[in-house]
Amino acid sequence: MIVPLEHVLFLSAILFMLGLGCVLARRNLIMILIGVEIMLNAVGLTLVGASAFWQQIDGQIMVIFLMAMTSAEVSISLAMVVYLNRRKGTVDVRAFDEMRG
Amino acid sequence: MTTVLFYILGLITVLATLMAITRRNPVHSVIYLVNSFFALALLFYLLGAPLVAAWEVIIYAGAIMVLFLFIIMMLELAPTQETDQMGPNWWQWLPVLLLSLGLVSCTLMLIGLDSAGPQGIPNWYATPRDFGYALFGKYGLAVEVVSFQLLFAAVGAFYVGKPESRQKKIKKEGS
Amino acid sequence: MNPLLLFLIPALPLLGGVFNTCFGSRLPQRAVAAIAVASVACSFVLTVFLWSLGAGEGTRTVLFSWLKSSGFQADVGLLFDPLATIMTLMVTGVATLIHLYAAGYMAHDQNQARFFALLNLFVFAMLCIVLADNLLFLFLGWEGVGFCSYGLIGFWYRKAENASAGRKAFIVTRIGDLFFAIALLWLFRLFGTIAIDQINGRAAEIDPQMLTVLVLLLLGGACGKSAQLPLMTWLPDAMAGPTPVSALIHAATMVTAGVYLLCRMFPLVSLSPTGMGAIALIGMLTALYAASCAVSQREIKRVLAYSTMSQIGYMFFAVGVGTVSGAMFHLLTHAFFKALLFMGAGCVIHLAGGENDIYRMGGLKQKSPLVFWLFLAGILCLAGTPLTGGFFSKDAILLTAFARGDAFFALLWGLGVLTAGVTSFYSFRLLYLVFLGAERQNEKGHELSPLMLWTLPLLALFGLFGGLLNLPHLFGGHEWLGHWLGQPVGVVLPVGTELGLLLLMLIFFVGGWLIAHLRYRTFPGDEQAGWRNFLLQGWRFDTLYEFILLRPYRLLCRFCWQGGDKALIDGVVEGLGQLWMHWGGYARRLSTGQIGFYLQGFAWGFLLILGWFLLMSVK
Repeated sequence: MIVPLEHVLFLSAILFMLGLGCVLARRNLIMILIGVEIMLNAVGLTLVGASAFWQQIDGQIMVIFLMAMTSAEVSISLAMVVYLNRRKGTVDVRAFDEMRG
Repeated sequence: MTTVLFYILGLITVLATLMAITRRNPVHSVIYLVNSFFALALLFYLLGAPLVAAWEVIIYAGAIMVLFLFIIMMLELAPTQETDQMGPNWWQWLPVLLLSLGLVSCTLMLIGLDSAGPQGIPNWYATPRDFGYALFGKYGLAVEVVSFQLLFAAVGAFYVGKPESRQKKIKKEGS
Repeated sequence: MNPLLLFLIPALPLLGGVFNTCFGSRLPQRAVAAIAVASVACSFVLTVFLWSLGAGEGTRTVLFSWLKSSGFQADVGLLFDPLATIMTLMVTGVATLIHLYAAGYMAHDQNQARFFALLNLFVFAMLCIVLADNLLFLFLGWEGVGFCSYGLIGFWYRKAENASAGRKAFIVTRIGDLFFAIALLWLFRLFGTIAIDQINGRAAEIDPQMLTVLVLLLLGGACGKSAQLPLMTWLPDAMAGPTPVSALIHAATMVTAGVYLLCRMFPLVSLSPTGMGAIALIGMLTALYAASCAVSQREIKRVLAYSTMSQIGYMFFAVGVGTVSGAMFHLLTHAFFKALLFMGAGCVIHLAGGENDIYRMGGLKQKSPLVFWLFLAGILCLAGTPLTGGFFSKDAILLTAFARGDAFFALLWGLGVLTAGVTSFYSFRLLYLVFLGAERQNEKGHELSPLMLWTLPLLALFGLFGGLLNLPHLFGGHEWLGHWLGQPVGVVLPVGTELGLLLLMLIFFVGGWLIAHLRYRTFPGDEQAGWRNFLLQGWRFDTLYEFILLRPYRLLCRFCWQGGDKALIDGVVEGLGQLWMHWGGYARRLSTGQIGFYLQGFAWGFLLILGWFLLMSVK
């Protein structure tokens, strides 16, 4: 492999943390979803790195499945964003707290 | 050489992501993210997954991010002010420009590179043929399941996003 | 004659009672009464028919084995010996007459099914006591009469005082039952059996001190049921029940169950001189106490209740003195004339329009001469008029006591003579105040149904001529009852002494009558004096028990309720609940509904898990 596995994992961890930070810190629903995308990509990077390390193809297959599911997930979540925007007129997450106890 | 390339691409990815998560305008965020995904695709290619790299660009950057853009623009979430009508200032273009330039140069370097690694041994990579055998052989069932899932997603997205019917609207306004 | 037929004697009233319980509410009232009367009457006829089985040693039959486990055996069995025969005849005969009377008395009541069912069940339970061959079966009947008595005293339960009178009777007799139960268990432990004849046969084996304690326990049980000191407070209040109930239960049957028990266990009881002395003492003290209370009672039935208590005291005295035939003789004659008096009192209450207070009655002789003459018969027997049944039975007891000779019994004899005089006084007081003199009330009376009137003359005859059952030798009799029971008294005193004592009794009788005559012939109206009030309230025993027993008990209950149950248990249980709810309130604040908050939760949790795995991998 061109770089030690640890470096790949390190990069992937950084990307994951960035994605997590985006999810936690932003108030816009779209931005939260984008954070989720970033996290998923970080996972994909980990899988590909592992696949390269072990020189087996299974990791890459997992990545393709990951991408397929991500696209499905994004389509539904964006449809929901549209719906929620219709309901409340905003995509600020603080507006959607009707499930409070 | 590929090692250095790896680190450069890694840096680009991180920077692009960093820019993406700190923008106020979601459209800018998506653009930076496309950058990041492109760099990631090159990383995949370096790690011996050219097919995955292609898919990363096509599906992720090409479909998902475009979907995001559609929604953002449909809901009119991006701030449009008087000043924006003139177009952003030149320094707002700078980060994207630099990142994109970096990406292009890396791509060119990759094209011209020798496929052998530092020791002179060719790197392992996954051909489409291997991919096909594995995907439709060992993971055939999973493929079917994922195709179901895409169907559900399509139906669900259709249903959730359905506009309010006329009668419901009249009822709502009448009450 | 198959001895198993004996089982029909208690079984018939049981069947009648069960039938009326299940179906009585659907039948017409007359049918219910008819079934009840018929079952007891058949029982009586059967007893007469099977009379001869009881002679001599008697007949012992077992129907089936009721309880049987590791040495303990209790059968459903009957011991039909001479004592039981006499008692059964009396119980079934008097019960039949009272059932007939009750059919007339309760003719306008709505709940006749319940009444007659309870009455029949009562007769069944009483017959269990009388006929049982083992103590457990007897105890079954013992408890049964207690329960039926509770149900019948509190028959009109919608009035609170009736219900509490029933409760009081049940609880006070329960205390006696406790002593009896202890004696029963102890006897089983000593002998390994609870069959009465076996216990009586082997009674001599017991160590004397243990024997005395056993006898005292049995006495305690008998005192509860027979309303003797100190468990006598329930009997006057039990008059809240309908008059037939008072006649049956509190004159002839349940209250005599205590005497019957002591007579049944007499071979055991007679072996302990201390025990016998105690029995005699309790009996005589109760007789005197009750007679004194009867002197100042205002309600007609309460006078008769105290009178019953007093006469049963005489029966206990007889047992204590050692003459079972004397006790049973007095029991029989007392049953007759007391039932007569109670039923007559029922007639009087009807005639006076529901009035109970004798100070407000008077001159009822004009309203119904027949009732007057019948009542007079009863009063004469009660007071001990010479040549009536009551005279012979009472004198038999006192003569036997005098013949004992020692100082203790002589003292008790003296009290007995005094009590006889007081008895004569209050009997005639009752008669004068109710029937003679001017009419003191203005109420219009109710009509008397013929059932109520014409069941009385038979009892009057038995009361007046009952002396023939056990005529002593002095009068030319042969002591038939004594011989039948196998315990003839024989001639114990020289004729002169006996005549002298009879004369003494006569003097006391006449004295009592004279005082009553002078005082109550023309009675102005209410009279209230301090000592009269004291006697009226039964020497304030109720108040005493209230203070020393009931109040501390109520305090204890209140403490257990407030302190134990409410504070402790409810506090802990509900406190726990409140605690959880309180903490739940804190937990509730975690669901803010804010998505950002939840995502942060994810992140922190993720961090923790990661940290945990790292820690694990480092180790």
